[in-house]
Amino acid sequence: MVNPVLLIVVPIGLAFLTPILRFISKKWVKFIPVLGFIFNLAVSISLIPAAIHDPLIVKLGGFAPPFSIVLVVGPVGILFATLISLAGVLVSFYALSYIKEGPQQKYHMLYMLLLAGATGVVLTGDIFNLFVFFEILCISSYALVAYLGNKAGIESAIKYLIQGSIGSSLLLVGIGLLYGYFGTLNMADIASQIGTVDASRLFIPMALMITGLGIEAAIFPLNAWLPDAHSSAPSSISAILSGIAIEVGLYAVIRVLFTLFDVSSFLLFMLVLGVVTLIIGELCAMSQKNIKRMLAYSSIGQIGLIVFAFSLSSNFGVGGGLFQMISHTLSKALLFLAAGFMIYKTGSMEISSFEGIGRKMPLTALLFTIGTFSLVGLPPFVGFASKFMIIRAALAKGEMLYTLLIGLVLLATVIEGSYFFKVIQVMYFKGSKTGITKSESPITGLIPMIIFASLIIFIGVYPEFIMGIINPAASELIDKFSYIRSVLG
Amino acid sequence: MAFLQDYIYYIGAFGLVFIGLFIMLTKHNLIKVIIGLSILETGVNLFLISVGYITNGTAPIFSKPGLNVREMVDPVPQALVLTAIVIGLAVLALVLALSIRLYKHFGTLDLRKIKELKW
Repeated sequence: MVNPVLLIVVPIGLAFLTPILRFISKKWVKFIPVLGFIFNLAVSISLIPAAIHDPLIVKLGGFAPPFSIVLVVGPVGILFATLISLAGVLVSFYALSYIKEGPQQKYHMLYMLLLAGATGVVLTGDIFNLFVFFEILCISSYALVAYLGNKAGIESAIKYLIQGSIGSSLLLVGIGLLYGYFGTLNMADIASQIGTVDASRLFIPMALMITGLGIEAAIFPLNAWLPDAHSSAPSSISAILSGIAIEVGLYAVIRVLFTLFDVSSFLLFMLVLGVVTLIIGELCAMSQKNIKRMLAYSSIGQIGLIVFAFSLSSNFGVGGGLFQMISHTLSKALLFLAAGFMIYKTGSMEISSFEGIGRKMPLTALLFTIGTFSLVGLPPFVGFASKFMIIRAALAKGEMLYTLLIGLVLLATVIEGSYFFKVIQVMYFKGSKTGITKSESPITGLIPMIIFASLIIFIGVYPEFIMGIINPAASELIDKFSYIRSVLG
Repeated sequence: MAFLQDYIYYIGAFGLVFIGLFIMLTKHNLIKVIIGLSILETGVNLFLISVGYITNGTAPIFSKPGLNVREMVDPVPQALVLTAIVIGLAVLALVLALSIRLYKHFGTLDLRKIKELKW
């Protein structure tokens, strides 16, 4: 069996080799991330059966778990690792033809570091290690947001950096407090001792950690950086930021809440926070004229929906949240990738400039439409299956409050539909502008989009395909005692 | 007084954290905000060190025979702080590089005048 640590080591190693390999051949540097993530995808898929059966514990220092750093490759970890490597392969393939300007080898280096950091966050079982990987993810995304070097890019990168580094400092204080209480950094060890400390003393570290991680996850009051950063980055990076970075931030929030602390008294707060995030994100998205800002606000809304699903805290609700994360990654990545070439074509991010593009770039426009339909939740696509699962889980609670909140969630979906269909209407049915020649996106750009779209349709038609991994992942998050047992032995 | 003596490091650490946060929230000049960030990070590092510190304790590697465990300083937070300092350095270098570019674009570092992006 392959050692799971390769999932982190290979991208980091390749990332730091990239500036050296540039001296050998400048032309071939851009293929390094593709190869690296194909390797990662193969390793993570080959690990899935073993990880679902029994979490793999990798002792990096050679000591038994409470000491030294461990990697915990359980169902949740391998689910996210596979998702990250899948998005990594497809988006780096897309970048072959999309990234034409700027210092390209730096782009590819930072891209690999970002995804290596994300993989590290989802696989690690050590809370300080989580912080370190989180910082790798954050710092490379700050730099990538500023990649184009224009006014908007630099300004939003600075905004993102200032807010993100306050968040990391808060997270670090929280970790320090936990270390002071328990004298250990292993998540399973902290979780097993959490009952020995008075609950009132645990509130401060919990609040600090949730706030710190919540900034990266863009939960409502902490989301000011997201629309700027996601709209100013190159489209391939927006796809990764929306599809991977915020989901990883959210994973960390969920892991801290569910595994580390006892959340039961905190769930109602998260539930309301999720719905508020959802409504605010969708309402802001509706009033946007810029396509990438609209997609960025819609990501905030989706994050709200996922928080709502997790706060239901039933097996089905958490499963729905994980499913919604997968569906959001696939759909939002597809939307940003398709929007990227449409923006190249029209030279503008304004939605009004997309008039008639449905006839000029038929395939790209069709793929964009598939993405929006999936995000809104129309039946044959994956978004329907995941939203349906969340609504069913909420209805199963059977209380008045939940029914009310479902009403709000469905209202937000209607808003989502209204602004996405407006874009589609502009693309297909408004008068066609002259001056744009009829030509498709380049083939290396189309292939990843087609793969994303076919995954959206395939999983939407046949959700059992991934239920086999979502169900054990949901029970890993719900049942923290089996997690503790599997790590500490 | 005893309270002050026991908790002086924590008071100092959180004092620095709040001073840093205050600077970041109230100042309009980007360089001052970055200085605030640096003070905030110093406060966090000092806090981490003080979690493991024992007054007059020694390093565990130099322990004489017969030395009590309670007299040795916990080395783990110090390793954590080393990592945190390196991360802080990377962030500081990046944000300073970005602020040079920002100045080239806008001709000012006053955050009130930089309004390319709006809600």
